[in-house]
Formats: sequence, structure tokens, C-alpha cells
Amino acid sequence: MPDWQELVRRRLSGLALDASEKEEVHAELAAHLEESYGMLCRNGLPEKEAAERTMEQVSDWRDLQAKILIARRGEFMRKRAQQLWIPGFLTFILSTFFLMTLPKILGAHPRTVESVAGTILFDVPWLAALPFIGALGAYLSSRAGAARAIVLLASVFPVLALAAALMLMFPIAMIVDPIIGNHVDFRNVATELLKVGTSWFFVPGAALLTGGLVVSLFFGLRSSQQTRWLDSEAKDA
Amino acid sequence: MIGAGIKRGTAELAVLSVLQEGPLHGYELARRIEQQTNGALRFTLAALYPMLYRMEQQRWIRGSWETSANGRKRRCYRLTPAGKKKLTPLRREWEELFGALQRLAKAAHA
Repeated sequence: MPDWQELVRRRLSGLALDASEKEEVHAELAAHLEESYGMLCRNGLPEKEAAERTMEQVSDWRDLQAKILIARRGEFMRKRAQQLWIPGFLTFILSTFFLMTLPKILGAHPRTVESVAGTILFDVPWLAALPFIGALGAYLSSRAGAARAIVLLASVFPVLALAAALMLMFPIAMIVDPIIGNHVDFRNVATELLKVGTSWFFVPGAALLTGGLVVSLFFGLRSSQQTRWLDSEAKDA
Repeated sequence: MIGAGIKRGTAELAVLSVLQEGPLHGYELARRIEQQTNGALRFTLAALYPMLYRMEQQRWIRGSWETSANGRKRRCYRLTPAGKKKLTPLRREWEELFGALQRLAKAAHA
């Protein structure tokens, strides 16, 4: 009898899934081929012919590999876009838009707060708008069926994008400054990081997260009620 | 020629209908469909598993590893509450479609 497990593993070696998921697919398909082969043999076919007939079930292994990948990953990617990337980028665009327009519309100046790190700027109208933006991101993400962690990630996406940009900017500046002859004071860099982090990351992040948490809790309550309803329906069926 | 959408719909309906009777592993599922349709619907491995994985992603069915009486490990699929909900309108759509086609065929013969 052919080693179906080995045969499937060789033919679908390029399946780009997690090791455990890949192993699961190999085992499942091998079991199917083994059953088909066993049935053909029991029906009186010689082993060689039974093996050939079994193999005829897959005319193109590359095509099957691609189809399995799309089936297992394509849906995942689509959902991830609906649950995280679209709500996340929308909150990012909205928060940037409000940051640029709200102070002009309301004629408000950023408020300054003195701290040990120095003067920290806070754009109050923008910060007041952030819980609503975070709530919108969380709502869109929840509606797409995201788990709570993804919902919260979608709501704080703007500050994450900003943090990623800062993470890139500071090391680059620290490399470039000495090259162009500027002295780098690490104490200043740390202070600046603390100031920028507070006014552009921690406080706006908390504001966004507040909106996200409210929506997430609301959807959490609703989905647990729905699950209870579906379970009772399933029991009745 | 039957379009891909219709083929997919037929296949999904067949899988959901058979799984409504109880959980089955892939090979048994294909065999059951072939038997119940007198061979009109046949699933090869290449057609069956991408569809089962897609339906699993859509949460209409759920697969879990089980050990059979002879000690073999098989991945069994069962219908989820979402799959049950999907089956009813899907069945109605197909009944309407085939009813319409039958009426059309009768009218053509008349």
C-alpha cells in the first residue's frame, strides 16, 4: 500500500500554512486517499489499479494547493481587512482630519501643561473628538465580527500608526544627526520621547481606547445574548 | 454550461443537507452524497476539501479530530447553528430555481 501521508506531504510541500495546520491538512487528505484506496481494493481492484484510480482524484496538486490556501487563508485575509485594516485606516484618516481642521474651525490653541519633562502640548478639541473616532473604529470592527482584542486594536489604530512612525524617526535622526555634525544628547532624546509620547501617544491612545472599550463592552453583551439565543434555538431544533 | 456560482451553491447545499443528518468525515461525506444522489453528484478530493475548508471559515460547519472504533483518526465535520440557519434559505432558493426550470421545460414541451 502506498504511504499516503508521505505522498500528500511531498505533493503539498509548498502549502504556506502554520506547521500544525499544514500537518492537519496533510493528515486529512492522506486519510481520504487511504479510505478511497481501501474501498477500491475491497471492491476487487488490483492494488496498482486501485492506487492509480485513487490518484486520479487530484489531477493538479499545485492547483489543489492554491485552492486550499485560498480557502483557509483568503477568507482570513478578507476578514482581517474588514475587522482591522478598514476600520483602523478610517479612524486614522478621521483623527488626522480632525487634528488639522478642528483647531482652525473652533479657533482653539493647544493647551500647554508643564511637567518634569518640560512643556507638553494638548489639543483639547481633537482629544475630545477621539473617543468618538475610537468608538466608530470599534463599531465597524465589531460589526465585522472581530474578537475584542482586534476591536480595541482598530480603535487605537491612529496612535499605533503614529508610534510606528516615531519609532522609525528617532533612530534615523540619531544616526543622521552625528553625520551632519549635530551633537546628539541622549538625555534630550529621552525627554523629547516622553513629551511626544505623552501628547501624541498615551493621552490620545487613552481617549481612543475609551470609545473603543464602550463599544466593545456593548457588543460583548449583545453577542453573549445572541449566543445564548442561538444555543437555545439549537437545543430546540 | 453550468456556472461556477450554481455549481458551488449545489455543492454547498449537498454538504449542508447531508451533515444535517449527523457528523461525518470527508470521505464518508462524499460517499453519502454520491449514494443519495444516485451518482449524479460526485466529489473528488480536489473538489471536496477546498469547499469544506471554505465552509468552515464561513462557520457553517465545524471540523474536529475524532478517533473511530478501529482507532483511526478522522476529521469529522458537523453542522453549526449558522450552517443550519444557512440551509433553510439555500434549500428554498434551489427549490424555487428547479421549480422554475421544470415549469420552463414543461412549457417548451407543450
